[in-house]
This record gives sequence, structure tokens and C-alpha cells, in this order.
Amino acid sequence: MIRVVALRKAAIAGAAGALAWELVLRSAILLGIPTFDIVRTLGTLAFPHASTLAWWSVGMIAHALVGVCWAVFYAYFFWAQLDWKPALQGLIFSGVPAVLALFVVAPQLGLIKLGAEEVQLTRDMLLPSLSAVGIAGLLAGHAIFGLVVGAIYTRPVGYRADRPPEIRLCATRASRNGGRRPQNGGFIFATGFECSYPTVEQGKWRRDEMHETRHYSFWQRDIELAREIGVTHLRYGPPLHLVFEGPGKFRWDLVDEPMVELELGGPEPIVDLCHFGLPCWLGDFQNPDIAAALAEYARALAVRYPWVRYYTPVNEMYVCAKMSALDGMWNEQRRDEASFLNAVFNLASACARMTDAILEVRPDAIMVNSESGEFYQPCCPDEEIVARAELENERRFLPLDLLYAHEVSERMLGLIREHGREEDYRRFLGRRMPKRSVLGVDYYEWNEKLIDREGNPRALGELFGWSVIASQYWRRYRRTMMHTETNRIDASDAQRWLWRQWHNVQHLRGAGVPLIGFTWYSLTDQIDWGIAIREATGRVDPAGLFDLNRDPRPVGLSYKHLIDMHRDVPEYRHCPAVEEMMS
Amino acid sequence: MAAFLGAHGYDPGPTQRPLLAGAIAGLLATGPAVGLLHAFGSLEVEARILGTSIAVTIGAGWVVMAIAGAAYSRLFGRAANDVRGGWLFGMAFGFVVWAAGAVLILPLVSGGLAPAGHAALGVFLSLVLWGGVLGAILPFVHRPLHKTIESEAQRPTSGPSGRLPPAKR
Repeated sequence: MIRVVALRKAAIAGAAGALAWELVLRSAILLGIPTFDIVRTLGTLAFPHASTLAWWSVGMIAHALVGVCWAVFYAYFFWAQLDWKPALQGLIFSGVPAVLALFVVAPQLGLIKLGAEEVQLTRDMLLPSLSAVGIAGLLAGHAIFGLVVGAIYTRPVGYRADRPPEIRLCATRASRNGGRRPQNGGFIFATGFECSYPTVEQGKWRRDEMHETRHYSFWQRDIELAREIGVTHLRYGPPLHLVFEGPGKFRWDLVDEPMVELELGGPEPIVDLCHFGLPCWLGDFQNPDIAAALAEYARALAVRYPWVRYYTPVNEMYVCAKMSALDGMWNEQRRDEASFLNAVFNLASACARMTDAILEVRPDAIMVNSESGEFYQPCCPDEEIVARAELENERRFLPLDLLYAHEVSERMLGLIREHGREEDYRRFLGRRMPKRSVLGVDYYEWNEKLIDREGNPRALGELFGWSVIASQYWRRYRRTMMHTETNRIDASDAQRWLWRQWHNVQHLRGAGVPLIGFTWYSLTDQIDWGIAIREATGRVDPAGLFDLNRDPRPVGLSYKHLIDMHRDVPEYRHCPAVEEMMS
Repeated sequence: MAAFLGAHGYDPGPTQRPLLAGAIAGLLATGPAVGLLHAFGSLEVEARILGTSIAVTIGAGWVVMAIAGAAYSRLFGRAANDVRGGWLFGMAFGFVVWAAGAVLILPLVSGGLAPAGHAALGVFLSLVLWGGVLGAILPFVHRPLHKTIESEAQRPTSGPSGRLPPAKR
């Protein structure tokens, strides 16, 4: 799949565009303005001597069908290619069918109208046969069509946050039994289902990557593909916003069947409980009540699936807080330091309470705290630029500092005091982290940033690499680590990127860091991640082990190669850091 | 559009057999297209213009359409396997084949003779139908022809040095 297209919406847009064209041009014709009558031309093509109603009906249906085809074509190949207003995009696009109509279709319609079965072509027959007024009518008709299609066809992915679609998970075949290999202390090779579900447009529009990648339809196939690749673990995030309907109310039917499948046949799930979004009834990450509510959800899930051992209570707290409260892209969409701090404290508090709730049910549960591995480099020795980079390099640690009860820097402490959160901070410092906590460090090509002369962060690409950035986190927290996410949006470079990341993992393990796993994220391509899912364009980012038709990408084969090559090597078959976690 | 397809479509996928699948789907899609040509009386007109019998015209049509199907599958690559959009990509390709083949090439090889009237309409509709059917069935034709992940993953190209430039002496 090259683009997620809302076929129904495109079809409606195409038919509406054709109807609008007809309404305007028919009015002109009825007013005596001579112009190209496409509906009459098409209708009388099939029924030359039919009544007006007959040719109009047939012509209109044919015109609407052609409109639908063009609108779907627009949806696949043109929509959101230009950063212009939707109606204007449609107007520009209408030039394509207009040119074809003028230079190919209209002359051919002329040939079809001839009484003969064959003709000797002349140059005149192949040129546009319309009068100036006819050409003007044709262009005007296409312009109207384009404007209408462009105006109607917007937001092909996602749904109204307060009106989610009816989603049901149905198994297409019996669950496979007996395939799950017991976790015996081996190195973790993982992938995951991309499951982000933030809201955009001030909370009105829900992005739901599992819906957009059609995981709800293909969930069983997706689990099978993960098995085919040979991963031992799978990052799986049930859709919190759909499952947790209210206090004490859960839609477990959205989770039960995949969980049965995973329990019986593997891979071992790392259950991801909160991934960049909240149910509507909980509001956003400014809400201090989310900690108690999410703890209830975590406890309920642990009770329902007592065999699950690995959890990620909150995914990438720093990224979630930054995108929601500092960069203004998701959920509350704020852009101030106070909101950012609020979000960080609420997320860290939620993560801590969820951890406690899970451990009450399953004392030997393992928490994989995934966080984005970030680094900021000043572009020049300018004091302000250096200070900005230092601020960012301290701020990236803030959520983990709270969760892992690590003292923050002086600058961060000043910020915390300024916003009156010191008491909360001291409370976090008194917290004892559970023994089985894994620090997951994610890494993408945009994680290392340069602070430019204007003080803006700009993606640098891979400057130092994962092992250097992860080392900074290791030195700060001294916790068992895991590479919990990576991918490459440029599919042609993905294999090289995979092996580079893997060599980074090997390098850090060689340096004595207790490292338990590696993850290519995600199993399938993702939607709109190239623009941080802030707009609903439906663009497919080819970052997966499989494309959205579920056909493998070369990187999928390389990952299988990598796993097959290493899983039976003694140092990976028995990973001391994993064995210690499991004990 | 070219850049768009280039990012996702030109690479047909390491386990796929686009040429074979496209040729088979192209052949299968020719069946209904021939039916439509016959219904509009276009088959006889084309045979007359080309100076051959109807049987030879149909035979040549199968061959040309198998090649066109293979070309479609290779050109659209991964996109050709999209069950939801395949019909549209196929119809677009059918339109191009009509514009290039029936509108340009046929008159060139026949000294300027071209179908007209209902015969011309039949040629147009049959090629759009052929494309639509080709695009719609190709993902299903292709599925059983895929190579296995197991075998392809073991190739050196999937390994750690598979994407590196050749070693220099």
C-alpha cells in the first residue's frame, strides 16, 4: 500500500464533484450559454435516440463513475502532496483530467460519434475539436469538480475522538497452540505493533495507528508474521482509548483474542499500557487524576492476564510530554514550560503508580521503561546556543529522573521550584524503584539534534550513534538496558541501519553494560510518522519489517537473518542480564 | 506521482515474482476484455484493420496483454499488491495502454486506419476493463507465487555485509 485512502470518502467526493459540475454547467446551458455538455455526450453515446430523462440519467451515472475514479486517483497520488488548502489542491489536480479530456478523450469521443466502423485518420481528427466556448466549459467543469473533490476529501485517516468507529476483533482461524518458547534467559529480539493514539486538532480528531495500519483486521496475521521473523518478544499496546471506557469499565473484547493467541503461540508480549494518548473521558496529560485512573487500568489488565510478565507502563514519557505540552502537536497542544512540567509530573506519577499496581498482582513483573534517547549539540560556541543545548540535554532526563528517583540538575531544580513542584519532586526522590526495571532507549535518525544559530533544534542524523547516547543514560541511571525502538523511514537504507544499530548494541554489551534486548519497531509500515502524526494525511512511511499489504521488506529478511545468526550463539542464548531479571 | 511510486512501488519486494504474476494476471484479465470487444463488434474491426483473422488477432492480443500485465506488475511493484487500490491502478494503466496502443500505435501500424463508432467505444471500454480486472486480481494471483521468507532471509544480501559497497583490494 502506498497511501491509506478513505475509499468511501473519495467516492462521495468524486460523485459530488461530478454533480456540482453538472448543476453549474446545466444551469448555464439552460440559460442559453453554449458550452460542452459532457452528460449529454456520454448519455447519447449509449442511447442516441433516447428520451431526455434516459440520456441524462445514463450520462450522469457514467460521469459520476468517472468522477469517482478520478477522485480515488486524487486520493492516492495527489492529496496532501502540496501544503495548500484542500480545495486548492483539488483545483490544481483538476488540470490533469482536463488536459486528458481535451487532447485525448474529446477527439476520441468525436470518432465514437461517427457512424462508420473504421476511419482513415486525419490530423484534424486528433486535435481538440471543441469551440472556444466548449473548451471554456470543459475547463470550468473540471475546475468545479476539482474544488469540490478537494474540499470534501480531507483527513483520510483517524476519526472523531468522541465517535470512534465500531471495531471488533475476530479470529479468522483457531489460535496456534504450543508455539511459544518459554523465556529461559535468552537475549530478547523484539518488534512491535505501532499503536500510537494521540488526539490532534485540539482533541477533536483521534489518530489510531492500529486502525490506520489495519491491525484490527489483520491482528492474527500480524502475530503470525512476527513469529515468521523469529522474534522472541513483541511490544503490544492494547488501545487504551478504546478499552478503558470509564472507571471500572473495560472493553476486554478488544484484547482477549490477541492475548490468547500470544499466550498460546508467542511471541512473549511486552504490554504497552499508555502510548501517547488517553481516553476522551480522562482529558489530557494536564489532568492530575490520570495517575489513579491508569493505575486502575494497569491493575485490571494484570489481573485479567496474569501470565503477562513484561510491561511498559508509559511509553516515551519525555516525547509524550514534549509533543503534547511544549511543541503543541498532540493532546492538550500547549506550548509552555509550566504545562510541560505538569505533563511530566503526571506521566511519571502515572508510570510509578501503574508499576506499583502491576507488582501488587504480579510481584515478579518486569518493567521496560522505554524512553527516547535524545542528544542536543550546540552549533557554535555562542553562550546562548550552548546554554540552550545544555537545557535540552538536562530536560531530556527529567521524566526518568523522577521515575528512577535521580536528582535533577540545578537548572531543572530551579525550574521545578519556579513552578511550585518541589514538594512533588521530593516525593519522587523518596521512591524506591523495583529491582526488575529495564531502561529502554529508543533511537531514530532524528534523535540527535543540532541547536542552530537561531536556537532551533534541527535533526542531525546519526552523529554519535545509539551506543554513545545510550551510554549517557547508562552512566546516569546504571540500570539494565534494552534497545527498545529503531527504524528507518528511507526503506532503501533500512538494512544498513538495522545492522548499524545491531553493531551498536554489540559494542555496548562488549563494554560491559547489561543489555537484554534489541527491537526493530515496528512490524509493519507506519502512517504519517514522517510528520509526527500531527496531520491526518494517510502517507505511508515504509519503516516496517513488512509493508501494509503484509509483504516483507528487505529489512524484514535482514532482521530474520540477524536473529537466526545469533539466537543460538551461547552469549545470546544465555544472557546473564536477562537471567538476573528473571530470577 | 513518480517519486511517490518510487518510494514504495518500484521495489517489488524480495519475496515477490512480479513478472510472472503480472503475466498470468494479464492473461486472465484478457478473457472478459475479449468478451467486451466481441459484444461491441470491435474484434472484427480490429482484425480487418490489422489485416488478419479474428483468431490471430485474439492470439496476438493474449501475448501483448501478458507482456503488458508483466510490465504493470513490475512498474507498480508493491503498489500492485494493494487489494484496495489495485483496481484503480490497473484501470489507470489500462487507460494508458488504450491511449498509447489503440490511439497512437494501432493507426501507425495500419497506415492511419482506426476504429470508429461503437467499435472504438468497445476498444476503450475493453482496455479499461482489462486494466481494472488485472489490478484487482493481481494480488490474489501473486500470493501463492511468493518465495518464502525462510529461504530469502538466508541470502547474503540480507546479511551484515549485504548493503555494503564491494570490498576494495
